[in-house]
Amino acid sequence: MHIPENFLSPATCAVMAVAAVPVLAVAVKKVKDELPREKLPMLGIGAAFSFLMMMFNLPLPGGTTGHAVGGVLIAVLLGPYSACLSVSTALIIQALLFGDGGILSLGANIFNIAFVMPFAGYAVYKLIRDRVKSDKGEFVGAAIGSWFGLNAAALVTAIEFGIQPAIAHDAAGLALYCPYPLSASIPAMMLPHMLVAGVVEALFTVFIFAYIRKASPGDIYAGATKRTPALYILLAVLILAVPLGLLAAGTAWGEWGAEEIAGVVSNGSALGYVPAGMESGFSFETVMPDYTIAALPEVPGYILSALFGVAISVIVFRLIGGLAKNKQKA
Amino acid sequence: MPEWLLQSENYAPRADKDTFLSKSILALLGLISKIRAQDTAAAPTRYAVNPFFKLVFTLTLAVLVSLTREFAFLFAALTYVLLYLCVQPIRTLRRVLATGAAVTAFTFVILLPTALGGNGYSLTMMPVKVFTAVTAVNLLSHTSRWSELLSALKRFRAPDMLVFVLDITIRYIVMLGETTLESLYALKLRSVGRNTRKYNALSGVAGSLFLRSRQMAEDTHSAMLCRGFTGEYRVYQKFSFTLGDAGYILVNAGLILLYIYITRDANAGIG
Repeated sequence: MHIPENFLSPATCAVMAVAAVPVLAVAVKKVKDELPREKLPMLGIGAAFSFLMMMFNLPLPGGTTGHAVGGVLIAVLLGPYSACLSVSTALIIQALLFGDGGILSLGANIFNIAFVMPFAGYAVYKLIRDRVKSDKGEFVGAAIGSWFGLNAAALVTAIEFGIQPAIAHDAAGLALYCPYPLSASIPAMMLPHMLVAGVVEALFTVFIFAYIRKASPGDIYAGATKRTPALYILLAVLILAVPLGLLAAGTAWGEWGAEEIAGVVSNGSALGYVPAGMESGFSFETVMPDYTIAALPEVPGYILSALFGVAISVIVFRLIGGLAKNKQKA
Repeated sequence: MPEWLLQSENYAPRADKDTFLSKSILALLGLISKIRAQDTAAAPTRYAVNPFFKLVFTLTLAVLVSLTREFAFLFAALTYVLLYLCVQPIRTLRRVLATGAAVTAFTFVILLPTALGGNGYSLTMMPVKVFTAVTAVNLLSHTSRWSELLSALKRFRAPDMLVFVLDITIRYIVMLGETTLESLYALKLRSVGRNTRKYNALSGVAGSLFLRSRQMAEDTHSAMLCRGFTGEYRVYQKFSFTLGDAGYILVNAGLILLYIYITRDANAGIG
């Protein structure tokens, strides 16, 4: 679910980063109030835990494997605010150290995976746990909560993808970033998440939750004593509505006309959206004709092409050389 | 000699599927070795570029690559990244290239349907953009140690709590990762023949990982108390300006100027 670099427009990245900042600020404050000072290392170690969670591969029907995210599990174990900070830290490290998820899209990733997922999932878990006063309530809550949390995050991600062609396109209507509209991105994201990934997430969450509850029940986050399910539902709805607000704001800027959207929707087939300026658009042949590059004067263009060639050749030869050396050793 | 010892037995364990265990083990091993390699990245030399500059300019490059609509600039940025890549040690080169190629291939496959709709722009620009940005970030992480990146963050006036949490996280990924690895080995070794309860056991491994992490957090706090560490970070390295820094800044400033030049030129062409 990590959004890679360049799938979202810089404007969306900026908006999502701005949205993530207050989320993190509130989480830091809450955690400072909730967590005694001696438990502060738990944040880092919780982040390590959530990082390692994603390394666990689980068997799927049909002989393949998949991995869980664990966002809701951590919210159930540590509380949603600590989960938010722990998962954010894991995301920062993944982006900075492993190139997993973009740096510019980090704000969006934090919003989706570290905020929407644990909070929406925890809200559902708490709602069910408070209503059903038996052990079953907790397990059912954890299962449905983790399924819901993952799918809420997937939906928000799909919406962020889906609004890209509408808010970021050139004069000819050609999408500059993610080119799929909502009618394509939502089914593409939601079907696999609802049917497969969400089920894996729920199973994983319940099994681990059951183990910890049996082995060391005192270690599970008790949560606030007052019951505030209505507030949580409101929060969940708000979370889901925020990207829609973005979409509405896009209309207000007047960057895209209503007839344009109508065209996208009435087209019916999800991928068959053909921008008007397509014929005059980009073609493969014009990128580097005769080793010169469009928009660059000839001489620097040549030099750049040469440097490019040098870099590619050196890389290829070094890779071949490395292979030969390995063979000699063997 | 008792008779049962003399009887010949023909025990063939029943075949069982445990790909998910092997995959989990490989994923963990890969993760730990990546962090180890990162931690032993070449010690700073006379020509080393200050990680502060690397962080600033890598972020700038990522923004420019994301913003640009001109293939010419993208090509220049790609060339710069490839030139930087081609002088790296072979191990770094392989790893960075592998990650970049995987993400780019993924992007390409995702975008293939748009090409059928006639959107050649996305199909050419996006994979190149993704490759350039991912490779630039991976080069940053492979050429600087985690501690150097943290010191760069600290120079950005990042709050101590963030630096502390990031610092602890990376250490404990390795420590917790190693204990998890041992548990997974144990599970794999003990699953002779068909083991129908592996799924249960796997969640036990994950569950005890959580309990152990709680224990470790308390131990860490005690250790901090013993050593008088309040969670405050200070950068002790002096901020020295090397020849490498100068070259690095020069090339990157050149790229930024090129971006401005090309963008203005293209806009003038339209207007």
